[in-house]
Amino acid sequence: MAEIRKKRKGWKICLAVIVLLAIAGGILAWQKFFREEPQPDWVTSTPDMRFKYGSIGAEYDAGIPYWIFYVLPRLFPEKLPGPGGYASLGVAWEQGQELPIGFTKKVIGFPRVANNCASCHTASYRKSPNENPTFVPTGPNHTLNLEAFFRFVVDCAKDPRFNADEILSEVALVYKLSFLDKLIYRFILIPITKKRLLEREQQFAWVYHKDFPEWGRGRDDAMNLTKYFLIKAPMDDTLGPTDMPSIWNLKKYKPEKGMLMNLAGDSHDARSVIIDSALGLLGAGPHNKQDFLDQVAWLENYLGNIQAPKYPFPIEQAKAAAGKVVFDQNCARCHASERTGTRVPVEEVGTDRERLRSWSKQAAIESNKIVRSFGIERKGLVENEPSGYIAAFLDGIWLRAPYLHNGSVPTLRDLLKPVAQRPEVFYRGYDVYDSKDVGFITAGAEAERVGTKYNVHERASGNQGHEYGTQLPAAEKDALIEYLKTL
Amino acid sequence: MTDTNATSSFQRILSRIGLITVVILVVVLAGGAYLLGRFSVDTPVAYQDNAEHFKYGSLGSEHEFGVPYWIWRALPELFADKLPGKGWESLGFVFERGKDLPIGMSKRRYRGFDLVWLNCAFCHAGTVRETPQSERQVYAAMPANTFDFRAFMRFLFATGEDRRFTPQDILRQIKTIRAREKLGDLPLLDRLVLRFYGIYLMRERILTLRDRLSFIKEEPEWGPGRVDTFNPLKAYFNFPIDQLPKEERIGTTDFPSIWNQGQREERKMELHWDGNNVSLEERNRSAAMGAGITPPTADRPAMKRVANWLRQLPSPAYPFKIDKELAARGAPVYQKYCADCHGADGKNFSGKDVGKVTPIDEIGTDRHRLDSYTYTVAVNQNAIFAGYGDERFSHFRKTFGYANSPLDGAWLRAPYLHNGSVPTLRDLLEPSSKRPKTFYRGYDVYDQKKLGFVADVAEEKGKKFFLYDTDEKTQPGNSNRGHEGYRFGTELSAAEKEAVVEYLKTF
Repeated sequence: MAEIRKKRKGWKICLAVIVLLAIAGGILAWQKFFREEPQPDWVTSTPDMRFKYGSIGAEYDAGIPYWIFYVLPRLFPEKLPGPGGYASLGVAWEQGQELPIGFTKKVIGFPRVANNCASCHTASYRKSPNENPTFVPTGPNHTLNLEAFFRFVVDCAKDPRFNADEILSEVALVYKLSFLDKLIYRFILIPITKKRLLEREQQFAWVYHKDFPEWGRGRDDAMNLTKYFLIKAPMDDTLGPTDMPSIWNLKKYKPEKGMLMNLAGDSHDARSVIIDSALGLLGAGPHNKQDFLDQVAWLENYLGNIQAPKYPFPIEQAKAAAGKVVFDQNCARCHASERTGTRVPVEEVGTDRERLRSWSKQAAIESNKIVRSFGIERKGLVENEPSGYIAAFLDGIWLRAPYLHNGSVPTLRDLLKPVAQRPEVFYRGYDVYDSKDVGFITAGAEAERVGTKYNVHERASGNQGHEYGTQLPAAEKDALIEYLKTL
Repeated sequence: MTDTNATSSFQRILSRIGLITVVILVVVLAGGAYLLGRFSVDTPVAYQDNAEHFKYGSLGSEHEFGVPYWIWRALPELFADKLPGKGWESLGFVFERGKDLPIGMSKRRYRGFDLVWLNCAFCHAGTVRETPQSERQVYAAMPANTFDFRAFMRFLFATGEDRRFTPQDILRQIKTIRAREKLGDLPLLDRLVLRFYGIYLMRERILTLRDRLSFIKEEPEWGPGRVDTFNPLKAYFNFPIDQLPKEERIGTTDFPSIWNQGQREERKMELHWDGNNVSLEERNRSAAMGAGITPPTADRPAMKRVANWLRQLPSPAYPFKIDKELAARGAPVYQKYCADCHGADGKNFSGKDVGKVTPIDEIGTDRHRLDSYTYTVAVNQNAIFAGYGDERFSHFRKTFGYANSPLDGAWLRAPYLHNGSVPTLRDLLEPSSKRPKTFYRGYDVYDQKKLGFVADVAEEKGKKFFLYDTDEKTQPGNSNRGHEGYRFGTELSAAEKEAVVEYLKTF
C-alpha cells in the first residue's frame, strides 16, 4: 500500500513538474514571440513623428525580425541597386534616425521592422547639391525604388547564404544576442522569415516579369499590388506603374460632390483609400480590428488636415499674379472647378491608357468583398470599369514632379510643351530641385548616377496627352509657372 | 565454491569498472574545468598610470581582431623580406625601452591566448627629436607622425598571401624566437590550438580584410601619419566600393591630436576634419571601431577611462626656446587674423567660429576628404551600436566644408591642413603657389624655425622617408591649396609671419 501511495505521490510530483514546465514554457513563448511593447515615446511625440515612424500594425504579419533586416544589406549588397545599403533604394532617411522614414520598429516578442504609409509618402528635396535634404511628410517619395526593395528581400531569401550560420555570424559583429535568442533566431525566426519571403515571390511574379519595364524611382504599380496581394488574382498581362501621389490635405476630396480618389478614381473616399493601402502594408487582415480602425481614423484626420508645403524659393509676385489670369483662362476649368477631383475620360485627356487596363470592375468587386470579410465597413473601391483619370487638385504641385499620372514629364515647363518636345529619356529620383523649370533635375552626371532611367517609349510610360496650354506664348507660360509655384 | 568465486571475481571486475569510471570522471571533470578556466578568461593588461594605459592598455579590440602574441612576434621575422626594414619599427611603430610591444598595441588574455591588437595610441602618439642625435621624446595623443598605417596593412596582407603562412613555418619561427629568449617551446595545448585552428583562422581573417579593403590600392599612397577614415567604413558596411563615384573614393587625412577633448565637448565643437559629429562620446566610439572594437566586444570601462583622461589632458608645452618678444609681437596679428576661427589662444578656445564648419568654397582646401563622407554614409552610421541604448550613433551629419580647429599644441600637429599637405606652419602662411610642392614625411626631427618636422631629409641610416607630392593631378587628395589669401594671413609681411609663428609656439 505504502508502495502504491509512494508511486502515486511520485506521479503527482511528475505531473506538477510537467504542468509548471508547461506554464513556464508558455510564459517564455509569450515573452519571446507575442508580448507587445509600445513604441518609445518619441515616436508619438508629434503627429509628424507618428506618421513617419509610428507602427500601423504591419509588424505582425509583414514584419521582418530586426537583426535579419539589419544584416541583409551587408550580406547581400550585390542585390541592391547600388552602394549604400538601404539608402541605395532611395528611402527617405533622416540623419540621426536608426531607420528610414516609413520603417517602423516594434517589439512583438522580438524587435521587428515593417512599414507604414510614410515610406512611399514622404518627399525629399534639396535646393542645391550643397545641402542636406528636407523631408516633407505626406509628399510623394519620388526617390524610392520600391520595386527594387520588393525584389531585394525576396532575392535575399532565395540566396543559399540566407541561412542561420551566415546571418548569425554577421549579427555577432554588431550585437550580442543572448544564447536563447540565438537559438530562437537559428531555429525559428530565420527559417520562418525565409519561408515567408519566398512565399512573396509567387505574388511578386510580375515584379520579375522580363518584358515589363522597371517602375523606376518614385513609382509603383498600385492596382496590380492590390490585385495580386489582396485578391490573389492570377497574373495577367497588365501593368500600370504610376507616380507616388502626395497625400496631404485629403479633406479637399468631397465624395458627396462626386469626387473620387486615386489617379483613376478607383476609390470612393479617403477612408477607403487609407484602409486599402494600410491593408496592403499589413499583408493580411488586421491583427486587432479596433486598433486598426483607430489607426485609420487617426490617419484620416492627420492626412485630412495637413497642408501642402510652401515653395521654398522666392516667387515673383507680380509675375505670379499675371500667371493667375492665364491659369483662370486655361487651367481652372479642370483644376479649380467643380470638375476637379472627378474623372476626365481618357479620350479627352489623351494620356497613357495602360494604368486603366490594370484595374477592372471585377477586381473592385472582389476586393470589396475581401475587405468586408475582415469585418471592415467602408465605401470602398468604385465598382465600375476605369474610364479616365482624375482632374487633379494642384496644391503643392511644385513638389509632385515628375508629372502626369505615370510621372512621364519631368517638369511643369515640359508639361506646357507639345508632346513632341517633351523629353523622351530622363532620370528620376535625384532630389536636387530645378527652380527654373519647376521639378527635379533629371539630366546630368549626378541625376544619371542617382536616378533611374525613364524612357517614354516603354510600356505604360507614354508622355502623350494633356496637351493644354502648350500653345501659349512663352511669356504667359512663364507667368503661369510662376503662379503654379504659389499653389 | 566456484559460484562464490565467480561472484567475487565478477564483483571485483565491477568494482574495478566503478573505480575506473570514477577516475575517468574525475579526469574529465578536472580537464574540463581546466579547459573552461583556460579558454574562458578575458583579462586585459591594464596600467595604473593613465599615460601608460593610453599607450598600452586595451580597448577590447583583441576580442575580434586579436593576434596571438607569439604570432605577432614571429611575423616580422618570418616575413622579414616583406618589410621595408628590420622589424615592426620599419613601419614606423615606436618601441619604448623595456617594452615588447610598440606604442598603440595592447595585450589581453582571451580564450586562452595572449592576444594583441590596437588601441587609440597607434594613431595618436608620436615622437620628436631636437636633433638627429637626440633621444626621441614620446608624446601621447599627438598624431602618430612616423607610423605608416597603410604599409602596416600591406605587410599583414602580404603575409596572409604568402605560402609560408602555415602552422609549420609560424610555429617553427616562434620556437626559434623563444629559444633565443631562453624560453622553452610553447605549451603543447597552445601549439595544438594554433596549429589546427588559430593560424588558419588568422589567415582567413587577414585575407577577408584584404578583400574588403582592396579599394585602398587605387588611392595615392598615404605615407606615415595619414589614414583614409571613412572609406574603410564603407567597406565595413560592405558597400561595393567599385560602384561608388570616383570623387568619393579618396579621403586621406592627417591623424589629429586628441588632447583637450573636454573643452571641445563643452563647446559642442563639430569634430572630425569635416565637423561631421558634435558628440565626443560618439566620435570616440567611432574612432575605436577603427582600432578594431565592435559594439558587442568593446571594453566600455577601459574606453571610458581613456576618454576621461583625454578630456583633461593638456597639450604638451613647446620644449624649445621661445623668443618672448617676437611672440608678443605675433599675438595681435594672431588675434586679428586667426582668433575668430582658431580660438583666443592655445588654452582658451573661445571665438565666434571656433569648432564650426567653414564652407568648402571659402576655405578652398582639397575637397576629397569632404566628398568621401556622404549623406549615405551618415544615415547608415545611424544603425551602428543599435541595440545598445544611447550608444547608438545619432549625431553624424553630412557637412559641406571643413571645421575650424583650436590650435592647442599646434607645434606637434605638423604637417598641416586636413590632408597634411603643408609641412610647416611657416609654409602655411605662404600662398599655395609658394608652399613646397614635394616634401618628406615620417622624420621626427623638429624644425624650430618653421614649426613642423624637418621635411627635406629623404633618408636616415637606411630608413627612407615618404615623399609627399602635392600634385593633385597625379595624387588626388594631396593638394596643398586653400586656407590662403588676405584673411588667412598669407599676405602678411615676412616679419609679421615670423612673429605669428613664434606666438604659435606658446599654444
